[in-house]
Amino acid sequence: MLDVKLAFDILAFVSVMVLIVMGLGVIASMMGVFNFAHGEFVMLGAYTVFAMQEAGAPSWAGIIAAPLVLACLGLALERLVIRRWYAAPIIAMLGTFAIGLVIREIVRGLLGGHYKSIEEPVRGSFALGGVEFSWWRTVIIFVTAAVVAACWFFLTRTGTGLRIRGAIENPMLARACGISTARLYGFTFAFGAALAGLAGALIVPLYQLSADIGTRFLVQSFLSVMLGGVGSFTGPVLGASAVGAMAAGLPWVVIPVLADPLVFVIALTIVRFRPQGLLRQGRL
Amino acid sequence: MRSDNGRSGTGPSLGRRRLLAGTGALAAAGWIGGTAGGWVLRPRWAHAAGPIKMGIATDITGPIAPSGNADWQVAQFAVEQINGAGGVGGRPIELFLEDTASDPKTAVGNVRRLIQQRKVDVVLGAITSAMRQAIKDPIVNRGRTLYIYPQLYEGQECTKFLFCTGPTPAQQVDELIPYLIKEKGRKRFAMPSANYVWPQLLNRYARRVIEAHGGEVVFEEYYPLDQPEYSATIGKIRDGRVDCVFSTVIAPGLQPFMKQLYESGFQREGGIVTCVYYDENLLNYHPPQEMDGLYSCLDYFQAVDDPFSRQLQEGYAKRFPGTRYLFTAGSASTGMYRGIKLYEAAVQETGGKLGREDVAAALDHAKIAQGPGGGAEMVPGKMHCRMNMYVAVCKVEAGKPRYDVIRRHDMVDPKEC
Repeated sequence: MLDVKLAFDILAFVSVMVLIVMGLGVIASMMGVFNFAHGEFVMLGAYTVFAMQEAGAPSWAGIIAAPLVLACLGLALERLVIRRWYAAPIIAMLGTFAIGLVIREIVRGLLGGHYKSIEEPVRGSFALGGVEFSWWRTVIIFVTAAVVAACWFFLTRTGTGLRIRGAIENPMLARACGISTARLYGFTFAFGAALAGLAGALIVPLYQLSADIGTRFLVQSFLSVMLGGVGSFTGPVLGASAVGAMAAGLPWVVIPVLADPLVFVIALTIVRFRPQGLLRQGRL
Repeated sequence: MRSDNGRSGTGPSLGRRRLLAGTGALAAAGWIGGTAGGWVLRPRWAHAAGPIKMGIATDITGPIAPSGNADWQVAQFAVEQINGAGGVGGRPIELFLEDTASDPKTAVGNVRRLIQQRKVDVVLGAITSAMRQAIKDPIVNRGRTLYIYPQLYEGQECTKFLFCTGPTPAQQVDELIPYLIKEKGRKRFAMPSANYVWPQLLNRYARRVIEAHGGEVVFEEYYPLDQPEYSATIGKIRDGRVDCVFSTVIAPGLQPFMKQLYESGFQREGGIVTCVYYDENLLNYHPPQEMDGLYSCLDYFQAVDDPFSRQLQEGYAKRFPGTRYLFTAGSASTGMYRGIKLYEAAVQETGGKLGREDVAAALDHAKIAQGPGGGAEMVPGKMHCRMNMYVAVCKVEAGKPRYDVIRRHDMVDPKEC
């Protein structure tokens, strides 16, 4: 039964990682922009839940509102600034980093630098064979699976998904066919931001809300995207699963202080031998 | 990300190597913070000999800002009280603030300004040990100025002209651990810890006390400060049949640890969690049910029933209505108050002489009869002070957590130097 518990713990953390990485992966794969403000988007999703809770709304309302708020913010940012950086990915990295910094410090001011605890909408745990399983982690596992499936279906099986893929494959030809690539890029960025917002809203009860909640996951998310390979939807998801499983599983076998760098060593070693990432063939 | 088959135009293009180059540039650009000028709080009246200049060097910005701002407010509160009562031997205190910005590199330059430009007579401040180590040399050695460090810490700071007014490991552990072993019947301890100097040295001391009283340390383990996942640790706590978790995990790794520990049913099955830096600020860090039954040991809790402490809290609340920065022990605020009052007592004894040697000689045995949690006295020759220590347990009533003080220990010895 303890093996089941171990598997559950690892699966729960893998789900958290996948949730966080998806938004980053979608934007990086579809638009070629590494969004360094991704951690802050996740944090804003968490902050939305907190703000709604302060205003007296139930926490599930905040979880529904978070992706919508972030989609609007993402769309506005893409229209105003991000679209100017498509031709210069390095500037885009620095620029999004700056945006992230501004967001982070504003929220730090709003929170007074304190940490805030957010309660799970579904509290407590259930026992199975004498081992305790957390309800909220179970919810996260299922929501993650559903979101991954929905995103995959949307990007590979719908008309909009087809147009997005077309616009990425050959923007000129897409434009010639009457597809508005500018609108699609705006939509894709907003979609990635919404995923980040949803991730932040779902995971914040497991952690605590602080201005730096996203920073911790940002580095591991980039590692996941590199490991999984940029260019597809499944690559980053696979990378996130691998990084998450290592981060949760390694402390069982080595001392925790070593486990953290070891995740990076293993991932970078794989990248050394598979520079294209785990998945490359067959873009979306 | 992109296939190489003749994509035209200025579309997105980003290879791994360019990504690495970009991140490198980011790191090199760095982040330079800190304020340019500092703040001055001038007294409302003057004295022929001029004011006593007191420098406060604390973290007004950055991750440690909540504690630093509390320290700064308490310093203003204490100094206004002293000036309002006629100053020290008739002279008012003028306060100078420099932001140490939670960053030792920024701090050194700012602290130098206190010494060289403001020419302060004493510096109080720093919260983390890293910060104390960074600024003590510019203050004490090169700056030839008296320095008072207010935070609870790992001990072993025995620098001349550096006085510590917060609790040491002996003060935090000597009463708490025997209580847990003898009264609560705890035998098997786990020490999950954040990986830095305070937990390491505190654990070394606590382990000796645990073993001296017949307890056993099942494991002692260190984590990166922001570790988000603790299932391996929880597994060890369960497999090792641990009955008391002596935690020194700190935020941001703290909350996921406490949540996973609670979810594992540890507390429900009778396990005790104890963490000696938990003050009133921490009550909001976790959902109430995760805090229920947690033991802490500090020099002051707001629940301490002492008329002077109550009066202090009321005065502070009146001076800073609705403030987010509480007057608590874990943020070094109590040590800050104690430090300022001990300095006042020392200067009173020297008859207004502010020379470093004179004041240090008087501070060496300075006493205050009252303070948050009670009076305090420096142990002669040891540069640390005796103070009352309180063991408290967190109780939850109607969804609201609070501390109940269950034991008071008078004038506990710091056992340092």
